[in-house]
Amino acid sequence: MDVNSFMEGLSIAIEPINIVWIIIGGFLGTIVGMLPGLGPATAVAVLIPMTFGMNPVSAIILMAAIYYGAMYGGSRSSILLNTPGDGSAIAATFDGYPMAREGMAGQALAISAVASFIGGLIAVIGFIFLAEPLAAFALEFGPAEYFLLMLLTLSAIVSLSIGKMVKGFLAMSIGLALSTVGIDTQTGIYRFTFGSSHLSEGIDFLIVIIGVYAIGEVLYNLLSIDEQRKEKKKVGKVWFSKEQWRRSKWPILRSGPLGFIIGVLPGAGGSIASMISYTTERQLSKRSSEFGKGAVEGLAAPESANNSASVGAMIPLLTMGIPGSGTTAVMLGALIMLGLRPGPLLFEQQPETAWALINSMFIGNIALVIINILLVGALVKVLDTPPKVLYPMIVVLAFIGTYTLSYATFDFYFLLLFGVIGLFMKVLDFPIAPLVLALIVGSDMEQNFRMALTSSNGSFGIFFSSGVSIALIVLTLLSLLYPLVVHWMKRKSQNKHEDQMYKSS
Amino acid sequence: MKKIIKVLLTMSVILITAACAGNASGNDGYPNKNIEMVAPASPGGGWDLTARSLEKVLSEQELVDKNINVVNKPGGGGEVGWKYLKSKDSHSLAVNSSLVLTNNLLEQSELTYEEFTPIATLATEWQALAVPADSPYQSASEFLKATKEDPTAVKIGVGPGLGNDDHLSLVQAASEFGINPAELNFLVYEGGGDVVTALLGGHVDAVTTSLSEVKDQHLAGKLKILAVSSDEPLEDLEDVPTWQDEGVDMVFPHWRGLMGPPDMTEDEIAYWDKKLEKMVETNQWQKVLENNDWEDFYKNSEETKAFLQEQHDLYQRLINDSGLLDN
Amino acid sequence: MMKGIKLGVPIFLLLFSCLFLIGSLQLPKANLGNPNAPLYFPAGLSILMLLLSIVYLFQEIKHVAEENMEVRQLFSGRTPKLIVFTIILGGIYALVFDRIGFLLSTIGFLGGLLFLINGWKKWLINCVVAVSFSFLAWYAFSQLLGVSLP
Repeated sequence: MDVNSFMEGLSIAIEPINIVWIIIGGFLGTIVGMLPGLGPATAVAVLIPMTFGMNPVSAIILMAAIYYGAMYGGSRSSILLNTPGDGSAIAATFDGYPMAREGMAGQALAISAVASFIGGLIAVIGFIFLAEPLAAFALEFGPAEYFLLMLLTLSAIVSLSIGKMVKGFLAMSIGLALSTVGIDTQTGIYRFTFGSSHLSEGIDFLIVIIGVYAIGEVLYNLLSIDEQRKEKKKVGKVWFSKEQWRRSKWPILRSGPLGFIIGVLPGAGGSIASMISYTTERQLSKRSSEFGKGAVEGLAAPESANNSASVGAMIPLLTMGIPGSGTTAVMLGALIMLGLRPGPLLFEQQPETAWALINSMFIGNIALVIINILLVGALVKVLDTPPKVLYPMIVVLAFIGTYTLSYATFDFYFLLLFGVIGLFMKVLDFPIAPLVLALIVGSDMEQNFRMALTSSNGSFGIFFSSGVSIALIVLTLLSLLYPLVVHWMKRKSQNKHEDQMYKSS
Repeated sequence: MKKIIKVLLTMSVILITAACAGNASGNDGYPNKNIEMVAPASPGGGWDLTARSLEKVLSEQELVDKNINVVNKPGGGGEVGWKYLKSKDSHSLAVNSSLVLTNNLLEQSELTYEEFTPIATLATEWQALAVPADSPYQSASEFLKATKEDPTAVKIGVGPGLGNDDHLSLVQAASEFGINPAELNFLVYEGGGDVVTALLGGHVDAVTTSLSEVKDQHLAGKLKILAVSSDEPLEDLEDVPTWQDEGVDMVFPHWRGLMGPPDMTEDEIAYWDKKLEKMVETNQWQKVLENNDWEDFYKNSEETKAFLQEQHDLYQRLINDSGLLDN
Repeated sequence: MMKGIKLGVPIFLLLFSCLFLIGSLQLPKANLGNPNAPLYFPAGLSILMLLLSIVYLFQEIKHVAEENMEVRQLFSGRTPKLIVFTIILGGIYALVFDRIGFLLSTIGFLGGLLFLINGWKKWLINCVVAVSFSFLAWYAFSQLLGVSLP
């Protein structure tokens, strides 16, 4: 790295006006990302017209701040209401929501903000020193490697539903089936669109997330709405305990670099990063049975990973001009309109701009952790709202969030349909994450598989042809076999409790 | 509590009257209310940026004195937005591109370009064929010769879907060269960016894409552009030949334009001809073109009408050649 | 009812996989490359789903006698009414959203949900929340964020 440009960038980033933009962007991003059903992609898309007419450097700083803000904010609604706004916030529902139910909402919000902060910081440091080699590493990923990465993600998710594997696989298959709707990229054939132009681009996974989580959660709560007394729910302290920190420390530090590297890969992004980090920590943990029931490290790890992935996603954007995620694609479009073209020439021609952005990420993460910790106290008040008033409001927000995706009321019917599906899945104890994540990665997985075979002229050898692909295969096998082995050993030792296991699993 | 409701009611009454007043004021000529600029895409996409640039230049240069609002109607490759336009009056205009022709030709939409009022063609990008810096093909004709010998051996990246300009521009080049385009070996990526990554990583042998996606990489020496689809060599890229230089007789613009709902009156069309003619001359619009790597391609409503007809016939031929449809 | 749900869901999935399989096999052939390429994945997937639903059905048959508290709740008290009306209100909202505009339809929708769930007794709170929340949402989205709402 070039120290001069670094310092110059730092001096731009700490110009008061840019600090103001960082704080405004971070705050707005947090708020928009926090609304149930609205995640980073929507937040950036919705807020982007604000940046038109600004000076390009401030604009990119503001957009990045909105993006990170939304990443921080996205998990707020996951924790408090079990309603993630984006794929990357799904993992936060696994343990964050159980923590909130047990009266530890304050601690959960605080640890997730701190985990995001540390993850973000690790990633920014990684960015400064490793941007170039990592961008080169990302290029190694061809169709075969992408296919195997998606396969690893799916197997990691399914392995989470241990004890109800059949339901996990069924949920995954439904997600994959939904992902086949739309134009088949390789051949231009229409699949399962039933002649509707709304379906030709496939089913937006965000509608499914909002439907099964937000609407599904509300419908599910209607089951017991009259039993939910007005009694004030405990929200716990607004800071985590030493014990919680001790348990989360290493998971946070491990997940940061992991998320960062996955984030660099174009197309992979926060959903995959947070999911892989969650399953890794669960498998490494001595307390793996507590995962999913409010284990603090099960919240901290994916939070660290998804935030560092969002920083990683900026690497292909800045070094190659290639957007690594939907959100960065929107940012690229806006930057071009402002006359700033990220790409290989950016670091040569306008190094101070690139470094100003990187430095602003540092400042942004510091600002965001402060904003989010200050907000904890206010946010837990959401839980004081009587549920009978809160749930109708969540429903309305979910509808508005859906509308902002494609400005079509047609999507509302899908929203309701997936809400009902979500309700039945909850009632019948189906895991929901496999469905949503299978839908997110399904189409890419199939298309990359076919592209790999086209480019090898039909030979399956391509899936074993590189070090990266072999490593991914080994990881996939491990993620599937390891929990099975553990499960089998447990079963052996607790054979007599088998009946109980069925019910609880 | 009653007070609050009263206040709210009063507020809404004021809002409604204000809105009505806004519509009624001014003269009776066109436009007599706010202009709606339909971007048939999500915020941040290409069409959205075109619409927002138009809005900005037209209002900041004070060419149009009514407010211009950008409305996003994404979906179906523009179809949702254009269907919406069809239901509006002459105060709504929509951004378009060759998709307004190809959606119908590819049997993906019932809408045809003839159902709308052509207003203008505004700008164009050019298409490029690029290969890795160390590719065995050092010129477009070498590339085409190798492809002609064994079409399956050369893997070509394209995105985000078959039937778009990226794909069809190479279809045209190939068929001009005597290759059956249906035999070309395309790997279809999800987006323009993915295509470039695949090329840089050596996962495909060549890509066909818009020039802006590969221009910087070419200047940085990371890949090589073999040919551009413009009629003469481009600024900054004087070393890159056009397809015509390479002996392939074609010029392939990737244009963007503006159209209105059906049945606009001649006065209304003339209004936009006058305004847009002025707009494309402004420095601010020139700056927009430069930032986006677009080139001025202005044609007024009359010229655009003829141009669309001509493009329609070309695309019809290309799509038949491409082998995408049964025939 | 309990049995109906417990066995109905796997049977529904079974039927769904069959339809999915038939649909996959009827997909149009591709004109470029391998003509069957688009159907391998959905067809394979539907067979997997078919097998999984059969296993699931047998699992449920084995445990059909077990009580699932939540399925019971689904049909007890006013729950079914609440769920069905929520969905109907959502459908009406979708129908009128473009026609009568965001503000009116949202006030109606939110108000309807509140009266449904929170009850008629608290009509004052319901009205205030419905109107103020809708105004707030409208202001935030269409004025501050520039989302074009009808």
